[in-house]
Amino acid sequence: MKTVKTIGINSNQPVGRGFNFPYDIAIKEDLGKSRTIYLLNRSNSATRMGTRIQYFTYEEDWIGEFGNPLEDDEAKFTRPVTLAFDNSDQLHVTDEATDEIKIFNSEGKFQRSIKLDSDSQGNGDRFGPAGIAIDSGDFIYVSSRYLNLIQKLTPEGRVVKEWGGTGGGPGEFSMPWGMDVDSQGDLYVADWRNDRIQKFDSEGIFLKTYGESGRGVGQFHRPSSVAVDANLNVAVADWGNERVQILDNAGSVINVLEGEATLSKWSHEWLDVNLDEREARNRADLKVLDLPDHLKNAYHEASQTEHKFWGPVSVKFDSENQLYVTEHSRHRIQVFEPAS
Amino acid sequence: MVSIDTELVIHLMNRAGFGITPDELDSCTGIAYEDLVENLLGSKESSHIPDDVIFRDHVDLHASRSGVPAYWAYRMISTKSPLEEKMSLFWHGIFATGNSKLNNLRSLLNQIEMFRRSGTGKFDDLLLELSQDPAMLIWLDNQDNLNESINENYGREILELFSMGVGNYTEDDIKECARAFTGWSVANSEYMSLMAQKDSIWPYGRIVWHYDFKPGIHDVDTKEFLGEQGPFNGDDVIRIICSQKATARFIARHMYNFFVADEVPVPQWKDTPPRDPAAIDTLVEAYFEYDHDIKSVLRVLLTSNFFKESRYQKIKSPVELVIGTLRLSGEYNDDSKVDSSIFGVIAESDYMGQALCNPPSVEGWHTGEEWISSGALVDRVNFASQHIGNPDNDGVKHIVDRIRTDLRDDAHTVGELIESCGNSVGITRISEDTTEGVLDLFSQEEVQVKGKDAKIPIEDDTILRVLEFMVSSREYQLC
Repeated sequence: MKTVKTIGINSNQPVGRGFNFPYDIAIKEDLGKSRTIYLLNRSNSATRMGTRIQYFTYEEDWIGEFGNPLEDDEAKFTRPVTLAFDNSDQLHVTDEATDEIKIFNSEGKFQRSIKLDSDSQGNGDRFGPAGIAIDSGDFIYVSSRYLNLIQKLTPEGRVVKEWGGTGGGPGEFSMPWGMDVDSQGDLYVADWRNDRIQKFDSEGIFLKTYGESGRGVGQFHRPSSVAVDANLNVAVADWGNERVQILDNAGSVINVLEGEATLSKWSHEWLDVNLDEREARNRADLKVLDLPDHLKNAYHEASQTEHKFWGPVSVKFDSENQLYVTEHSRHRIQVFEPAS
Repeated sequence: MVSIDTELVIHLMNRAGFGITPDELDSCTGIAYEDLVENLLGSKESSHIPDDVIFRDHVDLHASRSGVPAYWAYRMISTKSPLEEKMSLFWHGIFATGNSKLNNLRSLLNQIEMFRRSGTGKFDDLLLELSQDPAMLIWLDNQDNLNESINENYGREILELFSMGVGNYTEDDIKECARAFTGWSVANSEYMSLMAQKDSIWPYGRIVWHYDFKPGIHDVDTKEFLGEQGPFNGDDVIRIICSQKATARFIARHMYNFFVADEVPVPQWKDTPPRDPAAIDTLVEAYFEYDHDIKSVLRVLLTSNFFKESRYQKIKSPVELVIGTLRLSGEYNDDSKVDSSIFGVIAESDYMGQALCNPPSVEGWHTGEEWISSGALVDRVNFASQHIGNPDNDGVKHIVDRIRTDLRDDAHTVGELIESCGNSVGITRISEDTTEGVLDLFSQEEVQVKGKDAKIPIEDDTILRVLEFMVSSREYQLC
């Protein structure tokens, strides 16, 4: 993979363009014409001011936003986690605090919500919907961080299948997070605290595990998101290792990305009117790191430079196999394309 | 009556930790006091709320954009190594660095993690790490300390507030000290300090700082410092500072103030002798006997008679009161309890006068009686009674269950209930005033007549009311 561009800029404002701890994106494509990116800002967890979805073009032309705390109750978020479009361009958003999937049209108008519950478990515990994926038949898959299971729902929200359970064995989960469905209808789940990706068929039959705990190549530490391209390559947001790993479908690592951010269009615009910072920045060398031993790890290296991934929480592919990596702690998206 | 051993364990955990729950107290049964001290000194156990879960729920804490006090609160509430956190708090109060100027909380958190890592090692090493700590360097402007034009801010404070104390060096020593630290800076200091000044988060959030020695602006010439001469750099100056008796006395007095009994504020130390000069002498001797090793000095302190006899000589700091109360209430007793409420809870400590990561000045907080103003006292009492008076909190529920089980037959008196409730929240010496206050809670005629010898049914509500009263008492403010 090679770097294409970087999108976004940080902002601590509750409205307007700029990202504030972005957590996930969804891409709406008008094939051959345009790509619109919908980005979820998780924002400051104390106040939630700024929690919202912004949408803008691939070229960084700002369009709008919705779901902020000033909206009606049904349309605002509390602790949103992930996004997915269905086949009618309806945007689905999980909210793990309210145990809901909220559904909006592509202009950000609230449509309805699906309430998730744990009745099938009979314990009334919190569900905590984290990841979401929607297949070609508009079946919705949602992962439960508290119950450690996956539910498959009809578009209307009726549970048609449920599998999982707490544990580290095949088909069990520990706080699962992001998911994706490949072109063959198989489901991939970022089994976050088990440090692996699990693959299932559309009926929940366990097929395969990718990765294991660790810091080495092919190992994961708290993977938060997974995406599968048209060639069935599997991109994993190796969140706790501050990197993205790309595997072929058999599980061999074919690429390890650590980030190579450039200045986005919005960043250039900002620096153009803050010349003192642009000039001081030009005199700085933000890539050279001479860290003491106790800071020589992926987290600190990412925190002390700027081009590397810091908090790569979400991976998504578009129809051209371009990979979008969203970093919550650098408030931007890095876009990559296949090398050849 | 609570046994002397139990009282001593509670005392140790109040000072070397954040109090002790009844279950934790049970687990200490049969362990010798000296072994408990060793366990505290050696413990590096992790906590029950891991970082990954905290960061997943509070993504902004991953980058420490805000909320480092909340993150630290999780650490203090959930740690199984409370002395490690207590020592971090101790050094944060002395090497007081504030985010109000830094605007870079992650760099400040790295400093606190340095205290956690090196806070009980050799003082020379700690002072060296502090002198290369980017948050401290920016806090005291050492990036502007150049061979051609010294900025003596760090040179002054390392002597006055971090090691020796006023009256033990000259103005010339300050200048020479500053010269030795020229060139001790942070990488990309111009850009980093500009971003700090402007509180800039653009374009991609804050960049955390790292130390960088700049030989081109370091003064290599001979210096004369505290009677010694040479082409000293910062390492040499720290070695000389740490060999001074004044440094040993200064650190000893800080440790006495933090762990043993409240002293007058630091600015008065020059003119006011220590509360217990013999205790300070003991700690000074330990400092030199054990080659400036802080853990060894702590061991001497925690096993000394002056420590064991110092019960209720200290007013809890706001952080001690808040964290100790939350450890008892059990509101964050497992990783499913990670919740945004933590931000509001730790902010209560700010209202009581101790805002973590934002000390009032480089001098840190004034402690002891200065924690108690009329407003702060109301906040302290309200906080403790709200959290311990809430039966929905797991820890409170558990304490109530224990007391009910212990006192389940009706042969028990109000006095025994009072003692049991007091002990459960760490109070082993209950005053007559507090006892009278509890008795006033009861309307039963028998209680009015027989006082604490009266026998009453032990209901959950009754236990809860007494617990709530106990944490509202004067005794709960002390440790």
